[in-house]
Amino acid sequence: MKKIVLTFLVVALAAVGVIGLSSCGGSGNDTTGGGSSSGSGTTAEGGEGEGEEGGILNATYASFPDYMDPQLSYTAEGWTAMGEVYIPLLTYKHASGAEGAEVVPGLAKELPKISNGEKTYTLFLRPGLKYSDGKPVKASDFLYAVERMFKVNSGGSVFYTSIVGAEQFAKTKQGGIPGIKTNDKTGEIQITLVEPRGTFENELALMFVAPVPQGTPNEDLSANPPPGTGPYMLVNVKPGQGWEYERNPEWAKANSKAMPEYPTGHIDGAEVDVIRNPQTQVNDIEQGKYDWMQNPVPAARYTEVKDKYEGSQFIVRDTISTYYFWMKTDRAPFDDQKVREAVNYAVDPAALERIYSGQLKGTQQILPPGMPGYSKFELYPHDMAKAKELIKEANPSDMNITVWTDTESPNNEAGEYYDGVLKELGFNTTLKIINADNYFTVIGNQSTPDLDTGWSDWFQDYPHPNDFFQPLLAGESILQTNNGNFANFDNPAFNKEISKLRAEQLGPEQESAYESMDEEIMKEAPWAPYGTRTLDTFVADNIELESIIYSPTFFEYLTSFEFKE
Amino acid sequence: MTIDPQPEAVPVAGGPGAAFPAAPEGVSPDRSPWYLAYKRFVRNRLAVSFLGLFVLIVIFVLAAPIWADNVAHTGPNESHTLQKLRVGDEVREVVTPEGRPIGPQWFEAGGKFFLGADSRLGRDEMVRLMYGGRTSLFIGVVSGLITTLVAVVLGLLAGYYRGWVDAVIARILDVLWSLPVLLFGIALGVSLAVSGLQIGPLTIEGGSNWIPIFVISIFTVPYVARPIRGEVLALGEKEFVEAAVAQGAGPLRVMFGEILPNLASTIIVFFTLNIANNMLFEAALSFLGAGVQPPNSSWGTMISVGEELLTTQPLLAIIPGVMIMLTVLSLNIVGDGLRDALDPRSKVRLEAHAGMVEPEGASV
Repeated sequence: MKKIVLTFLVVALAAVGVIGLSSCGGSGNDTTGGGSSSGSGTTAEGGEGEGEEGGILNATYASFPDYMDPQLSYTAEGWTAMGEVYIPLLTYKHASGAEGAEVVPGLAKELPKISNGEKTYTLFLRPGLKYSDGKPVKASDFLYAVERMFKVNSGGSVFYTSIVGAEQFAKTKQGGIPGIKTNDKTGEIQITLVEPRGTFENELALMFVAPVPQGTPNEDLSANPPPGTGPYMLVNVKPGQGWEYERNPEWAKANSKAMPEYPTGHIDGAEVDVIRNPQTQVNDIEQGKYDWMQNPVPAARYTEVKDKYEGSQFIVRDTISTYYFWMKTDRAPFDDQKVREAVNYAVDPAALERIYSGQLKGTQQILPPGMPGYSKFELYPHDMAKAKELIKEANPSDMNITVWTDTESPNNEAGEYYDGVLKELGFNTTLKIINADNYFTVIGNQSTPDLDTGWSDWFQDYPHPNDFFQPLLAGESILQTNNGNFANFDNPAFNKEISKLRAEQLGPEQESAYESMDEEIMKEAPWAPYGTRTLDTFVADNIELESIIYSPTFFEYLTSFEFKE
Repeated sequence: MTIDPQPEAVPVAGGPGAAFPAAPEGVSPDRSPWYLAYKRFVRNRLAVSFLGLFVLIVIFVLAAPIWADNVAHTGPNESHTLQKLRVGDEVREVVTPEGRPIGPQWFEAGGKFFLGADSRLGRDEMVRLMYGGRTSLFIGVVSGLITTLVAVVLGLLAGYYRGWVDAVIARILDVLWSLPVLLFGIALGVSLAVSGLQIGPLTIEGGSNWIPIFVISIFTVPYVARPIRGEVLALGEKEFVEAAVAQGAGPLRVMFGEILPNLASTIIVFFTLNIANNMLFEAALSFLGAGVQPPNSSWGTMISVGEELLTTQPLLAIIPGVMIMLTVLSLNIVGDGLRDALDPRSKVRLEAHAGMVEPEGASV
C-alpha cells in the first residue's frame, strides 16, 4: 500500500463480493497479517449492525492526504479518505484481517476472465451504475481513468505499464492505450498485457484505476474531487483543513441496486477536520468532541490510552508494513555500498522500538512479517564500531548530507534519532522536517535539492511481495515526480528478477525466490529498515468499536462506522 | 509594592526627550548625565536585582559546555534511548520500553540527567536547557541588534528628510505593523526552514538559527522605528539642529552627529525591551515549529517537546517556560529601570497620566 503518513488507509471498497471470491492472479494467499479480527463478520451486507442508523461522524486526521484525487493519492490517508467514494472495477472484501485482502468484484459484474496465456483480462461493467452527479458510468470511463492516471504522472502508474501500449503512453501522453478495449453498449472491458502479471487483479482493485467521468480534467483535483460511484461523496474539500462526506444521491437510486453486496453504510455523512496536534486529537476523542481519529494515538499517550480504553474504545491493529530509512544510491556519499552498510550497522531497531513507544517491532529487512516470502534474517546486528570502521574504509568525499523526515510524531523523533546516528558516524547533517501533508510529494520529486537520505514507511497495497519490490526498488519505478523508489535503486539483475517473478503465480517456489531477493537486496543496503508497525483505532464512547472493519489495505472502512443505540 | 522614590529631576541639556550629549565643558565628569543616570539606576533596587538575575542566567547558559563535558558527559543532541543509568545499586533505564523518559535525577547519578531526559530520544534535559538558553538568548540579542540598527537608520532617514522619503518609509512600516505578525512569522519561518534563503551573495541554510533571526528582525522593526521616527521629527525642530545646519553640516553629519546621540537613551531602552520581546517571539515560533529547527534546542522547542509529556512529566515543559519567564521579566524590569534612569521625565509623565503620582519628584 502506500506510505502512511501516518495513518492508514483507506477504505474502500468493497466488496462487492458476491460473486466470486476466487482468487486468481496471485491474490488470495491469505497470509496477510491478521490484525484484529473483530468485526470481520460484517462483510458486505449493507449493514445490520447493532447500533443506530444515521448520524454524522465527526472525524479528525492529523494531516491532509497527499491528494484528494483517486488517480493520484498514494498514501494511507488518501486511500482511507476516498475508499468509499471511488470504487474500482474490482475491490477488496469488506472484512478485517486476512479476509479483507480478498479481491472481489467492484463495478465489474464478476472477477475477470483470464485468457491468452494469462495476458488478457475481460470484465463486464454492471449495468445501471451512475456517478454522484447523475451521469451513467461507461466502460470507456475505465480507459479514461487509466489514461488520466498516466497524464497526471501518478505514483501508481508503475503498476499498469504492463498493459500493451501503456509504457509508450506514459512517455508521450498521447496515442491512446491499445491494450484496453471497451464497449459502452455491452459494458465489456478487455485489457491485454505485454506479459503475464500475477498481481494484476490486485492492481485492478486499487483506486488509481477507479473510473471517473470522461472530461474530468487531467490535473490534480484535490480541491474539487471528481464525482465517484461509492455510497458517499466528497463535498466541501478544503485542502489542508478538512472535508465532508454526504450520501451519494445516486447510491440508493442506482448503484446499491446494481451492486447490492457492497455496504451502504450506517452514518449519513461525516465531517473531517485536520488537527495537527495528535495530543489534542486524543483529548477531543476523550471528551467526545470527535468520534474517531484516523491517525494512530501519538507515542506519548499510547500507554495511557491503551491502559484506559483498550477493548472499549481502543484496539491495537497489526499491519503489514516496513519502516525504513532510504539512502539515495545514485549519489555520494550513499553511492558507496560500504557507507550504506555502515548506516545499517549503526541504526539500532531496539532504540527505535522505544522511540515508537512499543508500537514498532524491530526488523532489518524489506519484507515484513505476515507477507508471503518473509523469513527473518539479521544481516546487520547493531555494531557502532563496525559501522565507523566501514565509514573509515569508504572514506566518503562528501560528508555533508541532508536528512529528511516528516512532522508526524514519532516519525520526527525517528528522524532526529537517525540524524544523531549519522552525526556519530561523522557526517555533517542538516535535518529537514517536512509537513506530513506533502512530505512524500516533496521527497518523491527528483528536483527537490539535497535528497540524500531520510525516513519512509510502506504499507502493503495487496498481500503479494511484489508490492514491496516493484514500486519501491525496481529501476522502472524511478519517477521524476511521485517517485516511490526513494533510494533510486536500479540494479539490472534485480530489475530482471522482479519482473520475472511478478509474471508468475505466487507459489512456494516464488515465495522462496522473494525470500532470497529480500536478503540479496539488503546486502546491497539501499535502505536501513528498522521495523514493522502496529497501528490502532481510537474512537469516542458513542461509536460501536466492534463493528468497525479494519482492512489490511484500506484500514477503517467508513461504511462500517455506526453510533451506539 | 512600592514605587521607587522619584529620583530628583536633574535639569539636562537638550530639549525634552533629548538625553545626554557628552557632558558640557566645564561640568565635572562625575556630574555628567551618564553618571547621573547610572546613579539613578543603581538606586532602583528592583532593577538592579533583576539585572543581577539576568547576569546569572547569562552565566548559566554560557556554562553549558562546562556542565556538558564535566558533569553530564553528553552533548545536547546526543540520544541515550537505550542507555541504563547506575544509581547506587539500582539500574534505571533512561527510556522505558513503553517510551517513558526518566525523571529528574538531581545529583543521584553524579549530575547526569539532572533534570531527567527530554523525550523518547533520551537526551539530557539539563544540557539541552543550557544550550537551548544560549540559542534563545543569541537569537533574542542578535535579532534585537539587527532590529535596532535597521530601525534607527529608517527612523533617522524618515524623520530627517520627511517628505516622500518619510511617506515611503512610514507607509512600509505601517504595512509591516498591520500584518498578523505571528501568522506571517510562522508562514515565513516554516517555508524558509525547508528551503533556506538566498539574498544576493548571502545564503542562509534551511534549519539555521539565522532564519528565525531574520524573520523576527523583519517583523519587529516597525515597533522600534516608528517611535524613533517620531522622536527624530521632534528633534529636527530643535535649535541645535538648526545651529548645526547653519554651520554647514551636511545631512549625514546632522543625523549621525547631532540627532543620533540624542536618541541614545531611547535606543538603549528599546534595545533591552526588544530582546525580551524577540525572545518571546522566538519561543512562540519555535513552539509552533517555525523557529529553531530540531535537533537543536531552544527554550521554545523544549516546551513543545515537553508539552507531549505534560501529563506525566510536567517539569519538561515548565522548566524552560520558567526560564523564558525569568529572562523576559528581568529584561523588562531592567529596561524600565533604564528608561527611568535615562529619561526620568517619561516615567513621571506615564505615572502622572495614570493618576498615581504627582509630577516631579513626588513619591508614593
